[in-house]
Amino acid sequence: MALGRFLLKRSLQGLLVVWGVITVVFLLRFVTPGSPIDAVAPLDATQETRRAIAAELGLDQPLHMQYLTYLFDLIQGDMGFSYVRGVDVVGLVFLKVPATVELAVAATVVAIVLSIPLGVISATRRNQPIDYGATIFSLGGISTPNFWLGIMMILVLAVQFDIFHTSGRGVTSFNVATSILGPEPFFGTLIDWLSYITLPALSLGTYFMALITRLTRSGMLDQLGRSYIRAARAKGLPETLVRYKHALRNTLVPVVTVLGLQLGTLIGGAVITEAVFSWPGLGTLVIQSINLRDWPALQGSLIVIGTSFVIVNIAVDVIYAYLDPRVAYD
Amino acid sequence: MAGCAGQQDGEEPTDTEPPATTEPSDDDGETPTETDTPTETAGPASDLNVVVTMGNMDSGLDPQDHAETNTNIVVRQGYEPLLNRDREGAIIEGLANEWERLEDGRAARFTLRDGVTFHNGDPLTAEDVAYSIRRIVFEDVGFASPQATDLGAVSEVETGDGEVTVRYDPLNPIPFALFSVNCDIMQQSWVEEHDRDFINQNLNGTGPFQLTSYDAGNEVVFERFPDFWKGAAEVGGVTLNSSTESSTRVNRLLAEESHIVTNVPPQEVARVNNSDVGSIKAVPSTRVIFLFMRYDIEPFSSQQFRQAMNYAVDVESIIENVLSGFGSPSSQPTLPLFTGHNPDLDPYGYDPDQAEQLVEESGQAGAEITLQTPIGRYLKDVEIAQAAAEQINSLSNVTCDVEQRDFGAYVQDLITGNIEDKPPFGLLGWGNGEFDASQTIVPLLTTGTTLTTYENSEIDQLMDQAASTANPDDREDILQEANARLHEQAPWVFMHQQFSVYGVSNAIDWEPRVDEHIDPYRASPN
Repeated sequence: MALGRFLLKRSLQGLLVVWGVITVVFLLRFVTPGSPIDAVAPLDATQETRRAIAAELGLDQPLHMQYLTYLFDLIQGDMGFSYVRGVDVVGLVFLKVPATVELAVAATVVAIVLSIPLGVISATRRNQPIDYGATIFSLGGISTPNFWLGIMMILVLAVQFDIFHTSGRGVTSFNVATSILGPEPFFGTLIDWLSYITLPALSLGTYFMALITRLTRSGMLDQLGRSYIRAARAKGLPETLVRYKHALRNTLVPVVTVLGLQLGTLIGGAVITEAVFSWPGLGTLVIQSINLRDWPALQGSLIVIGTSFVIVNIAVDVIYAYLDPRVAYD
Repeated sequence: MAGCAGQQDGEEPTDTEPPATTEPSDDDGETPTETDTPTETAGPASDLNVVVTMGNMDSGLDPQDHAETNTNIVVRQGYEPLLNRDREGAIIEGLANEWERLEDGRAARFTLRDGVTFHNGDPLTAEDVAYSIRRIVFEDVGFASPQATDLGAVSEVETGDGEVTVRYDPLNPIPFALFSVNCDIMQQSWVEEHDRDFINQNLNGTGPFQLTSYDAGNEVVFERFPDFWKGAAEVGGVTLNSSTESSTRVNRLLAEESHIVTNVPPQEVARVNNSDVGSIKAVPSTRVIFLFMRYDIEPFSSQQFRQAMNYAVDVESIIENVLSGFGSPSSQPTLPLFTGHNPDLDPYGYDPDQAEQLVEESGQAGAEITLQTPIGRYLKDVEIAQAAAEQINSLSNVTCDVEQRDFGAYVQDLITGNIEDKPPFGLLGWGNGEFDASQTIVPLLTTGTTLTTYENSEIDQLMDQAASTANPDDREDILQEANARLHEQAPWVFMHQQFSVYGVSNAIDWEPRVDEHIDPYRASPN
């Protein structure tokens, strides 16, 4: 019951946020220099040609009319028409979502799988060589710009040693899934998929991995010093249970918050990594749209990014309450 | 899917001695043994899928709904204009195999070749051609095409038995130059049956490759069209993708994932040439780079001052040091190979003493000027502008600095149609696919056009005269005269002709074209 009310309330709040994003992005187009017509018309087009194009695209309407038309269409699921590319924005944007989500999830998995064990180990072996190693590794990860890391990995692992593809997304996770049933060999497809996604996922996940390692380590140290841990040890619980059932679970509360925020950032913020690896996701679409002055496509991408940010954060709050029963849905 | 198949099997890791040596297994029934000479045998020689990596993807597949190079490269795999160009830019036959002027240049007649079919199997008709022209020119047919002015003042389009006649009012001296660059031919019924969204994501042309998949902004895949009128392509297909990062494009080439990559910047050239998988191929392009000077404002209102600026800039050194030699100095608005290029003119050349003296004579000594430049629009634009400004600044009697502009905002200032709103001094590039002097001089250097920064009655008269002269030889003389006057009057600092620089894999045999198109139809596997 409480959960239902909570979800409803947060969704309404989220809707407000998305509406804000839409409005700001829409207005931005009118304060940025350059006209979208220049993206369509050649430089030497006559004023008549420009006017004809503007009239056909509805760009000659007053601002508030354009805004209301846009909102009205949006409610009906129509994100408008990309006049630069000559296609509907909905199709354009949603085709890019799987690639971005796939990369964000892969980067997160890379980060979690490596960082939590590393954090736990360095907390339990505090001030031993392995702890120093993990600290150096994670500080290095936090301070390395990920576009540089990406370029270096391409040069060494793709160009020099030819282990991975330099860029692009030749095989999708969907292909991998269908190969389980279909005629394509499963392992071949899987390896092909990995040869495309590994480098961008590593490049994007490294910063994130380093951050979570630090968080897990300090959280674990904090929890292991608490009195309930001493009580648990005193009553004779095995050390593994103390560490993983009690201490780790409480450590995960802040970790999940950061994870959620970061996953949202990854969906919208993988722009540079996507550009370096020519990964055909929303980030690449955003860059291309800015270059082409394709405002409808840019608006569509930002709405999708904003919406997914909101959704991920609602999900984080739900998980939060599960991990920490003291947090109530209110 | 096809993306990963073709390229991995580039089974020739060493390009030293490829063919014919693998003949010990004398397989009887199979292929003819002279496979190493795939010249005229017209056979479907290879399944090689040529991968082309550009800087940006197309903006939709409707060939009449755009006006930029990358889109042109993509749609020209499947669509064709009435006439074509060869690698050096000369007009050659296309869908029309005969073309002639009628009525002293007031009309042009195109005779269509027989046996051309669209990718959907339907034959090409004169009606389709007429419709394609009307769709661009007349706003009430279809839509407002950004190419509306590219075909000249077309007044009427008539069809006859296998021929199409285009009427002009007033007359147009260069219909064939225009129709060999613009106006891709589409099928009337196909266009009318589909909406704009569909036409921008599908393709039904007559060209050498037919579309197999379209992923907007990411990848376009074509396969060989077996019924192409010139004969099926030697390579199996074409995949076009893009990477905005030039280093990523080069990496793709070096990792043997791409066969052709565009716009290799000077700093990456050595990496390609030092590798054993590919090499750099460069050709002069149809783009000229210049610094315009507004004729109506001091100090540029003085012809001597404008000439001084031409002497002050060391174009040779900029080409050598900023562009690694990929450029050639220009002496006039019109490039070599173009109709109307005046071969008797030499570039001004670097002469700072002469420049200082001319500035003195012009009475503009002590002038302070600012050179505006777009950022990242043309190859090394900011670096070129900075070098030029520095050279001008080093004159004892002129100071010059650089202002960098976002291209969108810069364009807004340039296209107002009001010469007073334009920057007094700025860097600009101009591509001219028609290979005709008029297509540069008229829009940029005559009175009353949108972009112009120069007004001079002599030039206006010459260009009017050229526009109404149907005889090509007379017209050529007039245009050469106009170029000579412009050289003298120096409305621009004449900089250079930009080169197109490609990285090309050793796995294919392909030569670049001057018009910036990429034609894997002419490529063959090595």
